[in-house]
Amino acid sequence: MGTQRLDFAEFYRRSADDCLRAVLVSVGDQDKAKELVDEALARAFASWRAVSRHPAPAAWVVRTALNTNISWWRRRRREVSVPNPGVIADPAMAECTDSPVDPKIMAALMRLPARQRQVVALRLFLDLDTAGTAAALGVSASTVKAHLARGIASLRSDLVPEPEQEASS
Amino acid sequence: MNDNELMTAVRQSFTGVHVTTPVEQVTRRGRAVRARRRLPALAGALAVAAGAAVAVTSIHPGTPQASHQPTAPLAAWTVAKQSDGTIQVTIRQLSNPAGLQRQLRADGVPASVTLIGQQNPTCRPYPASRTLLDSVMTHTFEILPTAHHGPPTGLPGSALNLVIVMEIHPVALPRGTGVQLATTFTLLPPVTTNGGTQHVARAHLAMGLVYASPQCTG
Repeated sequence: MGTQRLDFAEFYRRSADDCLRAVLVSVGDQDKAKELVDEALARAFASWRAVSRHPAPAAWVVRTALNTNISWWRRRRREVSVPNPGVIADPAMAECTDSPVDPKIMAALMRLPARQRQVVALRLFLDLDTAGTAAALGVSASTVKAHLARGIASLRSDLVPEPEQEASS
Repeated sequence: MNDNELMTAVRQSFTGVHVTTPVEQVTRRGRAVRARRRLPALAGALAVAAGAAVAVTSIHPGTPQASHQPTAPLAAWTVAKQSDGTIQVTIRQLSNPAGLQRQLRADGVPASVTLIGQQNPTCRPYPASRTLLDSVMTHTFEILPTAHHGPPTGLPGSALNLVIVMEIHPVALPRGTGVQLATTFTLLPPVTTNGGTQHVARAHLAMGLVYASPQCTG
């Protein structure tokens, strides 16, 4: 039990922030992301013996958080799982948020379709390769590649000034 | 800006995002999740003091046990109420669990009786200690002398000589609880030896306490 707690504590120290960031990108709301990640990490601790043997425990946590979000959404039908991207995409509104994330970047991420955002989040924060991302999301590797390419193209179009885009292509 | 630089810039914009929940709070919640998950299983494990036994339903040719042959077919199960209030249950097969359930309820035992794996989903396990469970119910597996020396005729079969004998003490039941019983009898593949073929059956019994309710225990 002592070893289990130490291992989990080490995992928490190393990975909890990245799990939160990945879930935040996926659900778009920091309070909800924190709530989901707390719950997923608690479940990871509850099954730590199995989760610690998972090829990517952080991916397990993110997947569990996203599944929890879906089940919460199903339970409380009044909620939606992602905020209205249009609201955050409005720069004036984005500047009003107290998120530590650059509002323009957050808005660009929120404009991506949900699956593209999840793929980008797993690649960005969990450093998963194509196969790992595919396994974590339960989709094929080719789907991951397509979503990633489209997601990066959209982010580039939103965040990189046009002359630079032309120069980089 | 190439793709890597773009991704790095996006990643760096999240460096101010941190979990704020102390790890101790997460592990405390994790323990609660684990305890909640275990409750049915633990209740099941305690509640369901499972047993198994193997019986030879027919033995080697040439070793008949004629002297012990019963003279009449035996009932699948019998319920007998003793003068001290104890209920004695003998189960040879459970082809009619509803009948046994009815009989137990008629004798004053709130009961749910099924085959294993078909337990009534409305029944909520009562977290009984082993001591409490033993004070409410005891059981033994008995192998009766067989009247049948050929291959078993199938399940449920009169050829089986494996019997579960239980005693239920209704007075020991905590208020608002009842008993849950589930059994199966399985015919195993015959075992061939030099001396002949053995036909073997296995019985499983699961028993425990549940919160009494009209839907579960009547």
